[in-house]
Amino acid sequence: MTYVKWTFRTVIFVVVFGFLHYLLPQHDIARINGTEIIRMDFSSFNRLFYAQSDSGNAENETRDVRLINTVKKKTMLLGFIRRDAEGVMVYRNEDTGWIWPPYFKFDSSDLQAEAADHTSTGADPQWVVITHYGWRNRFFTIYPNAIAIRPVDGPDARVIPWFNIFFFVFIGAAILFIRAMWRQFRERSVDPALDQVGDAWDSADERFDDTRGRFRKWLGSWKRKPRRY
Amino acid sequence: MGLVYLIVFGFIVLSVIYGLIWLYSRSVRREKLEDEWREENPEGDPAAEDLFVEAGMKEYHASIRPKLILLVYVIPTALVIAALIVINWN
Repeated sequence: MTYVKWTFRTVIFVVVFGFLHYLLPQHDIARINGTEIIRMDFSSFNRLFYAQSDSGNAENETRDVRLINTVKKKTMLLGFIRRDAEGVMVYRNEDTGWIWPPYFKFDSSDLQAEAADHTSTGADPQWVVITHYGWRNRFFTIYPNAIAIRPVDGPDARVIPWFNIFFFVFIGAAILFIRAMWRQFRERSVDPALDQVGDAWDSADERFDDTRGRFRKWLGSWKRKPRRY
Repeated sequence: MGLVYLIVFGFIVLSVIYGLIWLYSRSVRREKLEDEWREENPEGDPAAEDLFVEAGMKEYHASIRPKLILLVYVIPTALVIAALIVINWN
């Protein structure tokens, strides 16, 4: 039973972690070395990892996707630890539209123009902070979606993830609130009702015990035990 | 089309949250009133307690507190508008 429990917990944790890691905004320090547009023929594997066509357009099987080519500073541990190493990174630049994920981004054309404006070479780098969500995966050909580009003075620029701070504080508060609501509901609605049912059951049980005896008692041992909290 | 989905489903989800918070807030207030009564009248009769609690609940429903729960609709709408401006501002 312990294995089942821990397997279950691990799966839940991995799913939630992956979901948040994909969806929450992250900040990369990079220099842009070009922008381009390629036609994408989505498959059922990677369609999930792309948004929809630009807001207001029709949705087709294939379409052009804007890409931003960069060289970025590598990081470790979710970006908390910075490294000196550099590596190439390619971002897509798509409208997320009104629904999902809830970034309400409609300005991918403008962002592409901004990216082109900040294009630089390794000899004379212009560093930018690229806010993005999503993953890069070579096997599925998926890219993180760039949300915003902000020029900074150098590769050591300080970035404070305000949104994520507020997000996790909010989630914590929401969990505490739901717990309080659940306790109130139990205390005020479930427990009194259960007490009544329990009383009725006990008196009926006594009568049964008198008449049916041991067989009934054995059946009763299969009855659900009262929950312990 | 996306905006219509957002409004419809957002309204449904927020209404569920609104309803739950409304029930919770009412229940907490009622419990508080009951505790208050029992503290002051350890051997009080149930009929008088009912009157006291009902009067207190009437006062609660007339006060501004239950109306504050409407912020459940206001705050997410404001956040969406703020996100629209921040993300798309050029």
